[in-house]
Amino acid sequence: MFPKASSSQSTTGFSGSDALSHVYIRYPPLRCDIPGARGLFYDDGNKLLFSPTSDQIISWKTSPFSPLVIPTSDSVCEGPVLSIRYSIDAKVLAIQRSNHEIQFWNRETGNTFSQKCKSDSESILGFFWTDCPTCDIVFVKTSGLDLFSLDSELKSLHLVETKRFNVSWYVYTHESRLVLLASGMQCKSFTGYQLSSAGIIRLPRFEMAMAKSEANSKPVLAAEDVHVVTVYGRIYCLQVDKVAMLLNSYRFYRDAVVQQGSLPIFSSKIAVSVVDNVLLVHQVDAKVVILYDIFSDSRAPISAPLPLLLRGFPRSITASSQSSSRNAEDSEAKDLSDTEAIIYGDGWTFLVPDLICDAANGLLWKIHLDLEAISASSSEVPSVLEFLQRRKLEAHKAKQLCLAISRTLILERRPVSMFARAIDILVTSYSYSIKTGSYLKGMKAEKSLPSGVPQVNSPSTIADDSASRVDAYGKSVKHESVSGVHNDSMNKSPTFSGSDSEDNVTIEPLKTSSGDLHSLGGNVESKILMGAEVPSDGVQSGLQSQLLGLGNNLLNSNVTNHQEPQVTSAAVSPDEMYSFVISPVEEEMSGDTSYMVSIIIEFLRSVNSEKIKVHPNLYVLTIQLLARNERYAELGLFVINKILEPSKEVALQLLESGRQNIQTRKLGLDMLRQLSLHHDYVVLLVQDGYYLEALRYARKNKVNSVRPSLFLEAAYASNDPQHVAAVLRFFSDFIPGFKSTSDHNSYCRILAEMNSSITA
Amino acid sequence: MGLSSVTTGSDATKFCIFDLRRGQHEGEELDKILFFYPADLPFSTQLSVIGLSEGLITFTRIFSPEAACEVIEAEGHSHVFYEAEPDVWMVMIVEKSKESEAIWRIDALRRVLKEVHSLFMMFHGSIRALLDKEPSGGLVRSHLYTFIMDYLSDFLVGKKLQLPNFRDSLKERGTVQMLTIGREAAIEVQEDTINLFTYAVLRFSPRALSSGLSSWSYLRKGNVSSHAATGSVSANSGAVLDQFYRSSGGDPSYHIARPLQQDKWTKGKDGFLVSDIWKAEAGSSAATTPTIWLQKTEEKVFLCTFQHRNLTLILLFPVISLLNEEQGISLVKQQVLENASLKIVKVEEKLSKGWGGENAYHVSGCRYLLVDGDRNVSRASPPTKVTTLTKESLVALNKLREEVDLEKSRAKSDSPDSDKDMEICIRAKNNAWVIARFTRGKELYMVLEKANETLLYASDTVENFSNRYCNGLFSLD
Repeated sequence: MFPKASSSQSTTGFSGSDALSHVYIRYPPLRCDIPGARGLFYDDGNKLLFSPTSDQIISWKTSPFSPLVIPTSDSVCEGPVLSIRYSIDAKVLAIQRSNHEIQFWNRETGNTFSQKCKSDSESILGFFWTDCPTCDIVFVKTSGLDLFSLDSELKSLHLVETKRFNVSWYVYTHESRLVLLASGMQCKSFTGYQLSSAGIIRLPRFEMAMAKSEANSKPVLAAEDVHVVTVYGRIYCLQVDKVAMLLNSYRFYRDAVVQQGSLPIFSSKIAVSVVDNVLLVHQVDAKVVILYDIFSDSRAPISAPLPLLLRGFPRSITASSQSSSRNAEDSEAKDLSDTEAIIYGDGWTFLVPDLICDAANGLLWKIHLDLEAISASSSEVPSVLEFLQRRKLEAHKAKQLCLAISRTLILERRPVSMFARAIDILVTSYSYSIKTGSYLKGMKAEKSLPSGVPQVNSPSTIADDSASRVDAYGKSVKHESVSGVHNDSMNKSPTFSGSDSEDNVTIEPLKTSSGDLHSLGGNVESKILMGAEVPSDGVQSGLQSQLLGLGNNLLNSNVTNHQEPQVTSAAVSPDEMYSFVISPVEEEMSGDTSYMVSIIIEFLRSVNSEKIKVHPNLYVLTIQLLARNERYAELGLFVINKILEPSKEVALQLLESGRQNIQTRKLGLDMLRQLSLHHDYVVLLVQDGYYLEALRYARKNKVNSVRPSLFLEAAYASNDPQHVAAVLRFFSDFIPGFKSTSDHNSYCRILAEMNSSITA
Repeated sequence: MGLSSVTTGSDATKFCIFDLRRGQHEGEELDKILFFYPADLPFSTQLSVIGLSEGLITFTRIFSPEAACEVIEAEGHSHVFYEAEPDVWMVMIVEKSKESEAIWRIDALRRVLKEVHSLFMMFHGSIRALLDKEPSGGLVRSHLYTFIMDYLSDFLVGKKLQLPNFRDSLKERGTVQMLTIGREAAIEVQEDTINLFTYAVLRFSPRALSSGLSSWSYLRKGNVSSHAATGSVSANSGAVLDQFYRSSGGDPSYHIARPLQQDKWTKGKDGFLVSDIWKAEAGSSAATTPTIWLQKTEEKVFLCTFQHRNLTLILLFPVISLLNEEQGISLVKQQVLENASLKIVKVEEKLSKGWGGENAYHVSGCRYLLVDGDRNVSRASPPTKVTTLTKESLVALNKLREEVDLEKSRAKSDSPDSDKDMEICIRAKNNAWVIARFTRGKELYMVLEKANETLLYASDTVENFSNRYCNGLFSLD
């Protein structure tokens, strides 16, 4: 589906010739190496990547991710930069200048002011903006949290509230709105707050588990060993225990923090990403990534550990036979030096959820899942389908894969029970998506957009920076970025900007039954009901208007954004199941109608259990299949028991298939009558020679649309003058003006002839 | 065993089968007799009965070579004729008597003849084939004798044969009770049976399913609890099997399998019914699985019967699909148990829940019989309700049905393809309404006692019944 440049896979790729992977980054990256830059900073609240220079802040929009995005800039005073964040409405720029001072910049007026610590004994660890109703910005200090609000003129901060604790370090992500404050000797005691639009929730204090290597050793937990991840609208904390070589997981509820078990790790350095609710645990030292779908209780990885790949890198085009113009392109395309192309390089910082910042080389990569590879790596069809149905980022592709898997199931004549399980998953998922409305939303999006066109693959506008320049600045950039970006790596942001429920995270009340965890989407739903939604749309639009205001060409990013079909759900409707699976497959399976019928029955059973309607075409197909094998007795039972639901299409097919079987034809007739399709019923009765019954029926149900000549012809064909006379009389009596029609005259004559021939 | 009790000569009913192609020379007359009941009548009497029948057949053939006589009504007896196979005739002679309930409907009696013959065909093949196999006739006689005597034992009341009479005029032999089930249950049933077949048959030969065999086993729930083990193959469900046209599958041996023996079926531990009936037949090869012949598809099939509570499941699969019979069958059974038994339990529960009991199909105010001739199913007022009708009403209905049978056979010979619509309403002597209605292959009989005297009332009742229970089928105003 993607234009996977086969060249990049076939030749010496970054991981050798073996191109097997489930996760990849795609060339080209977003280039953010600016001359004179003093490191890279990430603002996960606004999904912006900053690179401060001496008097400017250059920023790149990272969501939607596009290598072609044009950076914007703000002019600021010179000075040290520890951290940069725009306010949620993007009107104010906040720059942490030191451990004691944060400077604010009104982007409209250019006014600035600073906020400093009151005492020297405390220092600012960091800050973040919040959409909490009571405050706008939170300072995290060694002495606790300071909650401030911005005054209406954006000229000063007012302290709203102070929360006092000792803080060693902290972790915050905007997508979870959760700040975790570490304290204690080992930094393993945590206090947490969620500051969302629903208000402030304080989590109960909890301790993280730390194994001891020796009796007296007391390992200290570091900030880089704690990751807050958001999957399926739930918030988890993953903590690396380097002694036990385990990744402990904790789930946050409104009133409890519950340990959820541990995942094994194979590297002392662990990074975590979340792509489309799939948890990626990067085993950095081992240079492999393990995927988990922690929707259910299962802690089993989705697939075996495989390396992260770089795809689309046109490395092999350097063959000497290439034309000069191609070579020119190549030299540009080959701007990735060998040092830049190192996967899991030292300069890599993982920005949650799914970005990798190569601070050393000034590159930003986005991580992608290869759904095709993942689904191909497992033979457990039901679990693959479940996995695919939960994918939203590439819902269109997931959906296509589901359809393809279903087709293959049938074509390979897998056991009916296997198909039954598969179809149950698809139908349940569809039923759920109907209830939540995501299916319809997806349909709308799909309609308004062209079909899947891959990303534009041209080099980025700022990619003309030569590689040598990186070398010149590389060291200093790298040095600075280690501290700067490292700090920011705690501030993670969602890339998927849609107003999807996944963006809106809150802490739920603890549910005692663990069964809740795998009830399909139940948690997401309850979360929405609690109304703790985060107006990420507002963030987005605010930012966009601001960018527009600066006169930047947004068209580019918009185009790339819209080129992937935005189906929001991989759910497959019964109609699509018919059109894209059963109908196309049926032609190839023509030799095995019994199997096809079993498949359809399974499908009907599944659909019926969710009380979903199917298109009559499916019933029509079933009738055709049964009739083709002359299984009329079964067909009769199917109709009588209403397994094939009555409809005009079904009735007409029964009549058609009933040409060889009178009982089947009768079923079609009966169905027409039961559906009160009076006109068709009367016409067919006449066709079958039951013209007198047809007349009675027509009179009773006031059917006037059938031409009298039809009845008269039928009566004439029976060669019974009495019947012709009766029919004539009927129309003369009940149809005004019939006596003056040509039908009347001609049949009177015919009747007279019939009578005379009899008497003669 | 058990046979002698039937053969008392006191019975007024006689039943014989003879072959017109045999015994046509003087002194060889006995050759033509293939079966006679009561068997202990002297040959001279048997020959005179058969001779009379033969004479009547020969005589009526002069006028109607295709279909010779169907019935002869003598003063004291009715002779019912049925040409089961070309020149093989079955004749039943019943005594007429107003006092002793001996009021008959000929078509009902003929259906008995048809049924016994079709059942015989299913298990032993055609009479002609057996005659060809052993021209002396010993083989076919011994088969017919045991088979028919077993069959007739179902009609034995004390020592007398109780054939269907006017009291059974709200019953239709050869039909299965209509089973109304919800769509959901229906899908489950279909799914299950198809699953069974997919599992069972796909394992052995993918061709089997596409060969046109009706691959649904018939699921039936009924009042067979007392004969649970035998119900599936003996008289009760003879109608079920009747849907499959059959012919020979027997082994040339005088060890005659007696499939209709009720006490020879037992339910095995695995839920499958087992019988040693066929053991004798196959001799040393020890084939314990019954085989029957489906004439329509011309396939010899194994008959496997599975029971779970009220649910009987009949599995048929072609003999040719199994290379090793014993292994194959145990594999099928294993597959059924492994893959379907849970669902069978579920379906049984569903059906049992949906089963309204004996009186579920009772419609107050009337006694009725609804027959769908197209699919051999019927529904009727429960027998306990029918017994509340007076003898007069039942006799009137019996008479009406005789008329209708006549009209039906006439219409059939006139235009075999189209069904006539018909409507008859009779006011009986006891002021009951006796009604018959016909619409394209479906028949409705109704008795209304203590009803309003107007014809309008009677026709309204039918109309309401039709709208309510038959989707307006009979509502042709």
